[in-house]
Amino acid sequence: MKENISWRKPAAVIAAFLLLLSTASLLYLLADKGGADYAADIFQDGVLIKSIRLSDVSETGTFTVQGENGCVNEIEVRPGSIAIISADCPDKLCVRQGFISDSKLPITCLPNRLVIRLRPVSDPPGTAGTPDAVTVPDAVTVPDAVTY
Amino acid sequence: MSARKTALLALFTTLSLAVYAIESAIPPLVPVPGIKLGLANIVTLLLLRHLRARDAVFVLISRILLSSFLFGQALSLLYSLAGGLCSLCVMALVMGILQKRLLFLTGAMGGLAHNLGQLAVAFVVTRTAGVLSYLPFLIVGGILTGLFTGLCAGFAGKLLAPLLADVS
Repeated sequence: MKENISWRKPAAVIAAFLLLLSTASLLYLLADKGGADYAADIFQDGVLIKSIRLSDVSETGTFTVQGENGCVNEIEVRPGSIAIISADCPDKLCVRQGFISDSKLPITCLPNRLVIRLRPVSDPPGTAGTPDAVTVPDAVTVPDAVTY
Repeated sequence: MSARKTALLALFTTLSLAVYAIESAIPPLVPVPGIKLGLANIVTLLLLRHLRARDAVFVLISRILLSSFLFGQALSLLYSLAGGLCSLCVMALVMGILQKRLLFLTGAMGGLAHNLGQLAVAFVVTRTAGVLSYLPFLIVGGILTGLFTGLCAGFAGKLLAPLLADVS
């Protein structure tokens, strides 16, 4: 009968592992950074193409980002929040996510390889792009890849 | 492989394809790419539990190829394969350790592995560390949906065991 019990211990270990992992994730998600100012980093193909300090945005504005294979995302910036408002990707998950203002969850359009991530302005800009080449600009600076 | 088993595996491939199609018609509950119920995983779990791992691999790959040809884009094939195979390897391992008991634990580990595999591919495809912010969401989502599909597979297994018993 001894073999029959030998699954109990690993089962407890696996259950504990899963519980710990999900608790840690939930705690991380629920922890808030306490009203920090956020900057929105917009990445395309892993390159930081635009960085907008959301607290400096005074009025609503939209612009479109075009990918190398012709896909288009339209982004709207409001004071303190940002959203992708239209996209030509098939699932439109990025549009459904709506406006984010303090979300740890980035807006991602996987088909168009576009990521908008919020970061507290105290943190250095961008991680995957070329951080040194990017100065955190005011919302008006428009790189070549962006067309109004 | 007997004719009966071939027919049975084809039947399960069709079943998982149908489940997959029905699931993709349901609008996503959470606007996070990658979080979905993964109902087709029930079939994988059933086959792992009642037949052999290689049967599950066969049905999984057939289902992914067919669903990509029928509904998907080229990229979704990559995501599905990465998630599906990660999940299958982990579930085969865990199921062995747990001696085919507590299917919901196996399912939860599979769901977790599925999401981690997909996230790894998303990281490579987008080359953006930003997608890693999805990690906590995908961990919780994978575990919860995996628990659910694991429970479903447990119940389905009780009903389908007679069908599967004499081919294994």
